[in-house]
Amino acid sequence: MLKDVTLGQFFPGDSFLHKADPRVKLVILVVYMVFVLLASNMASLGLVLLTTLALTLCSKIRFSVLLRSLKPVVFVLMFTGVINLFFTSGETPLIDWYFIEIYPEGIRTAVFMMVRLVCLVGGSSILLSYTTSPLALTDAIESLFGPLKKIRVPVHEFAMMMTIALRFIPTLLEETDKIMSAQKARGADFESGSILQKAKALIPILIPLFVSSFRRADELAEAMECRCYRGGEGRTKLNVLKSRPSDYAFLAVMLLLCVAVVLVSKYLTFTVGLFVL
Amino acid sequence: MSFIDIKNLSFFYDESDLAVLDNVSLSFEQGSYTAILGHNGSGKSTLAKLICGILQPTAGKITVAGLDTADEDTLWKLRSRCGMIFQNPDNQLVAGVVEEDVAFAPENLGYRRDEIRRRVDEALETVSMTEYASHATSKLSGGQKQRIAIAGVLAMRPDCIIFDEATAMLDPTGRREIVAAMKKLNREKNITVITITHYMAEAIEADRVVVLDHGKVLMDGTPREIFSHVDALKDASLSVPQVTELLHQLGGFPKGVLHTMEAADELQKALPRAILPKESEQKVQSAPAEPALEIKNVSVVYGEDTPFRKEALKNISVSFPKGEVIGIIGHTGSGKSTLASLLNGLRAPTAGEILLDGENIWAKPKEMKQIRSRVGLVFQYPEYQLFEETVQADIAFGPKNMKLSEEEISRRVQDAAHFCGLSVRELRKSPFELSGGQKRRAAIAGVVAMEPEVLVLDEPAAGLDPKGREEIFGGLMEYKERLHATLLLISHSMEEVARYADRILVLKNGEVYLYGTVEEVFGQAEKLFDAGLDLPQITKLFIELKKRALCTATDVYTVGYAKKQIERVLGC
Repeated sequence: MLKDVTLGQFFPGDSFLHKADPRVKLVILVVYMVFVLLASNMASLGLVLLTTLALTLCSKIRFSVLLRSLKPVVFVLMFTGVINLFFTSGETPLIDWYFIEIYPEGIRTAVFMMVRLVCLVGGSSILLSYTTSPLALTDAIESLFGPLKKIRVPVHEFAMMMTIALRFIPTLLEETDKIMSAQKARGADFESGSILQKAKALIPILIPLFVSSFRRADELAEAMECRCYRGGEGRTKLNVLKSRPSDYAFLAVMLLLCVAVVLVSKYLTFTVGLFVL
Repeated sequence: MSFIDIKNLSFFYDESDLAVLDNVSLSFEQGSYTAILGHNGSGKSTLAKLICGILQPTAGKITVAGLDTADEDTLWKLRSRCGMIFQNPDNQLVAGVVEEDVAFAPENLGYRRDEIRRRVDEALETVSMTEYASHATSKLSGGQKQRIAIAGVLAMRPDCIIFDEATAMLDPTGRREIVAAMKKLNREKNITVITITHYMAEAIEADRVVVLDHGKVLMDGTPREIFSHVDALKDASLSVPQVTELLHQLGGFPKGVLHTMEAADELQKALPRAILPKESEQKVQSAPAEPALEIKNVSVVYGEDTPFRKEALKNISVSFPKGEVIGIIGHTGSGKSTLASLLNGLRAPTAGEILLDGENIWAKPKEMKQIRSRVGLVFQYPEYQLFEETVQADIAFGPKNMKLSEEEISRRVQDAAHFCGLSVRELRKSPFELSGGQKRRAAIAGVVAMEPEVLVLDEPAAGLDPKGREEIFGGLMEYKERLHATLLLISHSMEEVARYADRILVLKNGEVYLYGTVEEVFGQAEKLFDAGLDLPQITKLFIELKKRALCTATDVYTVGYAKKQIERVLGC
């Protein structure tokens, strides 16, 4: 059943990461990405890996869940690995078999890039999507991009659209389920046939769904007007985002780690056998 | 000056069209409680939208608390003083979390944070939803969602709330919750309540009833006055409470008697105080016909092996005799909808089997399509599944999927249109041009056209006015007779079930609670109350009469039969 689809990827909890101000978390996410990309040798990459693991432990989210977040990028991961492995050239090949040449540099780059990618994807999931409710995220975006209102960017409107979209996802999923059942009861077949036939079979679901979405939008607009909604101007909020000192401490730690990564990258490069680490 | 003043109001959606409201003048006092009745398309909802300033009058003037609804400068002030609750609970909640939704209006009005907090808490308290403050709105029941919508309006501290068919999509429990909330707001908070409804039982709770008919005020008075005019109401496609109808038909009783106890008092004055021996049963008991559909030891479990494991049906066995109408009743969550989706294989039972004409429908899963054309299923609000360019094409969707010949399809479309009361002109229209009631008919016709042996209907008449309800059921009964089909009717309306069903199945918590003829089931009033269900008003009247030793018949559930019983006791 469609209802079972998990919405967003938010896992409710009460860890330090869950409680942090979503705005600060958004900023930290950017810092974290820079941090990951700054690592250029194995020692600094180790630091990145450790940080990511520490964040995961902090969030109290299970590793199996974290691994699941990597599923969509498995292909990219493999691709990166293979390309780097075979197409990085160096001085002395380790394996030279017909047209396949593998250099130690290739192995190093492949491992390096893959670990970096895993940290990037896993870390941002932990920092943001797993520990921040979609609503908090919307609020954070509205608040962070607030200054853009001055140059007439409809920030509030976008945030309101996101809030409403999030609110209606369960409703529309339920509705899709109902319409599918109803058309199946009239003998519609969604499973068999060619791709073209399957696409055509979706028409009896999509049209009622569109019609009903428009009707809902209409009614919602009326209900909102009745409750005096007239855009973002002069609007106040019940739940105002508040950042605590610990949020800034968190940000400071991340910035320090960035500096550390730069230093480590510059001064702590070793050579072990054929490998430059 | 009254709180709401409507003077010579006319409204057209389209210049060329008929007037939706035609020279209406009405006024509502501060703190009054008014019900507005009228058939589908009588202009009730339009009137509500005009009062809140969502629509502007074509001619005439409306003032609310002295503010003209046409004055753009004071429009927001007006809306904060006069709130509105809409029919569909899902389409008026803005935020995903209860308290944020309630806070929406005060946020828009720009109140300070502590003031918003105070208003939200107060509003949730008034509708008794405080404990749900941080819940997700999508997880609430219909009645709860509607209560949140009320709280959302209350947070503006309005003087007036208009309920536009706010109970139409709710089950009886939800409906009771909302009516109780309306009364509380009116009595305790002195809020002006205007409720638009199709349910007569809700109208009699009000202090005043206004009847609209084709955009004009037909009647205006106390419920008692209005319901004295039984015939005029029927001409306006409306109905009256059953006891009112009974006393009206008997003649010689006071007019406009609305409540069961009052009717019992009136009858007591007229009836001789003697217990009469119980006479013959209303219907001749005949052995049930062979079963059309049999359910054997069926269980359905949702979310097996998860913490959310829920048993929707627990080892139930029932058989539905051929050619009968079986009413299926039960509170929300009793397993009615699950049962319906099992019957044509939309869902597979976790255990047990379903036999259609003696054959297990899951014997050949590949031929499920055939089973689906033999067991038709009409969902709640089926009009939301219409999709074709014309009504005709939409009705033909089912028969086409059955791979029938062109002639056969066209014959079936014609027949189905006839049963559902659609004209040739309507068949050529787009389904999206039709009125609500016509859409419903077109959607039901889409299932009827498959000519199923068993037709399962989930609340086929929900949200329609009394006349529309009657027409739909009339057509379905004709279909049943002509094709000797079996009808399973899922309903919340005891009156409806009593009137059309031969047999009643009562489900409670996924189990068969009662199953038998209408007499057998309605004879066990206490048990029905236990299952959170109600009895038809007329049955309650006769239970009261029996208590007072005035009449022995407790198998009374239609007005016609009630009249006969009383007349027999009166000896005429």
